[in-house]
Amino acid sequence: MMRVLNICVIAALVLAAADVYTIKFQSTRQAQRVAKLRLEIRREREAVAALRAEWAKLDNPARIQDLARRHLQLLPADARQIDPLDNLPERPSDLVAVDEADPIGSAISKPDALDRSVIGSVPADAR
Amino acid sequence: MQAPVADQPTPAREPWRRRLMASLLYGRSVDRDAKTRARIALTVLIFALGYTVIAMRLVMFATAPEGHGSRRVIAPDAVATARPDILDRNGEILATDVRTQSLFAEPHRIIDVDEASELLTAVMPDIDAAEPRARLASKRRFVWLKREITPEQREQIHRLGIPGVGFLPENKRVYPNGAEVSHLLGHVNIDNQGTAGIEKWLDARGLADLHLAGLATDRLQKPVELAVDLRVQHALRDELIAARARFKAVAAAGVLTDVRTGEVVSIVSVPDYDPNNPREALDPTRINRLTTGVFEMGSTFKALTVAMALDSGKVSLKSAFDASHPLQYGKFAIHDFHAQNRVLTVPEIFTYSSNIGTARMALSLGIEHHKWFLRKMGQLERLRTELPESAEPLVPKRWAELNTVTIAFGHGLSVAPLQAVAAISALMNGGRLIPPTFLKRSEAEALALATQVVKPETSEKMRYLMRLNVEKGTATKADVKGYYVGGKTGTSDKVIGGRYSKTKVLTSFTAVLPADQPRYLLLIMLDEPQATPDTHGFTTSGWNAVPVGGAAIARIAPLLGLEPRFELPPSDKLILASAGAR
Repeated sequence: MMRVLNICVIAALVLAAADVYTIKFQSTRQAQRVAKLRLEIRREREAVAALRAEWAKLDNPARIQDLARRHLQLLPADARQIDPLDNLPERPSDLVAVDEADPIGSAISKPDALDRSVIGSVPADAR
Repeated sequence: MQAPVADQPTPAREPWRRRLMASLLYGRSVDRDAKTRARIALTVLIFALGYTVIAMRLVMFATAPEGHGSRRVIAPDAVATARPDILDRNGEILATDVRTQSLFAEPHRIIDVDEASELLTAVMPDIDAAEPRARLASKRRFVWLKREITPEQREQIHRLGIPGVGFLPENKRVYPNGAEVSHLLGHVNIDNQGTAGIEKWLDARGLADLHLAGLATDRLQKPVELAVDLRVQHALRDELIAARARFKAVAAAGVLTDVRTGEVVSIVSVPDYDPNNPREALDPTRINRLTTGVFEMGSTFKALTVAMALDSGKVSLKSAFDASHPLQYGKFAIHDFHAQNRVLTVPEIFTYSSNIGTARMALSLGIEHHKWFLRKMGQLERLRTELPESAEPLVPKRWAELNTVTIAFGHGLSVAPLQAVAAISALMNGGRLIPPTFLKRSEAEALALATQVVKPETSEKMRYLMRLNVEKGTATKADVKGYYVGGKTGTSDKVIGGRYSKTKVLTSFTAVLPADQPRYLLLIMLDEPQATPDTHGFTTSGWNAVPVGGAAIARIAPLLGLEPRFELPPSDKLILASAGAR
């Protein structure tokens, strides 16, 4: 009786030891993975921060203004170009016939030919 | 030897040696079986205790997996301290940290100092050859060789394989917008500690303690949101730089505040500096004139005098004061710049910017009332904001009648321009004095901080006067169509060597927009503007600060989301009529 019990206990012990070993092994591997992921996250975060700093530098209003002045024909918005939606008139009936070329569409498709005076409603004295 | 009989064991039968051992070990008359069982029980108990302790330790390890091990890994990062990002009101980055590598050496581990320093200077030609040699030869255990090296340099030095030389990651503060927001942000030193502006304020708020404890290594600190709007800041700065060049002024400054919350949406003082190169900030001409400098604000102060008179109830808009001849005061005579030489009503005094009229107005209320009012408006004490740099107003030590006379039209009392802006905001927003802030603030928070300093009716009358001044006063050049601008000009003679200069002036323009539903207050200041052919030889505010203010408003107002309204009736119909209806 006693011997059977002893054998059972020893068997249980061996099994438990094996189980603990696998758990320990797995947990070590998981911990390594966690550490690796943490490092990766930190590196990513640093990269994101560096990119955001770079973006902010490129997005700087002074730089954009300079580029716009050099490459675009746009002017700063004037108060007279802003109008509340209430002042929007009803849609006129068929300004452009169905089979005719759309003047605004064709103007947009050829940006080089754009005259800034036809886009938007730049007031005459602002030009 | 006879076999011992079980039922009558006699010690005498045992051999003498065993008897001796027994008596030495456990005495003669002891039950050995019981003793053995007790011993086994004790052993079991000790082992059980031991295993319990081990089991409990295991449980403790399992529940608290992160011990000292992880802290040790981060420690090398803690050399340069992380700082929170600073954002503008729309979330644009104004200041952020980027990771750089710094080169250090442990001199006691260097084998050949000459070889090592030669190799290092070959890689980094920008450093002086004598410096690394001196540092490597020193007795210290740790020396910095170069802070913030480039990744290429790091790679090259790594390849050299010099023993005793290593790299540490550090955080470097960068300001992607350069000089755009310089005075407000301030800057940091090489150890990433704030030395000026909001950066210093951050340190004073507890960040420095975190750094000392080595805990501020994480870049996950909550970003700080400022009230400043980067787009508005740029537009205002652009206009001021252009104005400074056009009028050859020593300096130009501008500040835009939200009158309902006290938030400073934009603050510019040119010349400014690039916070990425903090050495420029040492130049005294580059100070922030709006908070660090004090100035006699000139006619801008007349708004305060008129408001005081209207709020006292003794003076109404229909009251009149004699400005027919200069006001003699001892050997001083007070003249008007736009002299009318007749009796003027209060609105006329305001729009002609009559020194005599405002002086008489202040005198009619008395010195004590004048002092009490200016103190209530916060003009006599230092204005404290988040910016650590602030200046004390220059208040006359003995305040006689002559002081009241001159202070009434803005001479003889020097205040920080931001201080004057806070007071005039209170005159516009319905009479609530709100301490200005550089951080985001809601209207409810502002209301909790506000103190009612003048009656709402007085505020309405003041807005009428401001608008009237743009319609037909000294500030007509700032009438930006659609935004119903109201404003007051100011020109003060500068004190040079203790005397008022006749040629060097400080001009300012204070504008409220829109005057009927005030949202923003703009102050433009030009220091020593010169006359140009366009200004017909004049250097007064109406010829320089006012058109600059108009140009700035035309550019900024659409950015602020103010809806332009055209065909509004003149101020006496729109503002005064609604004030009278109440």
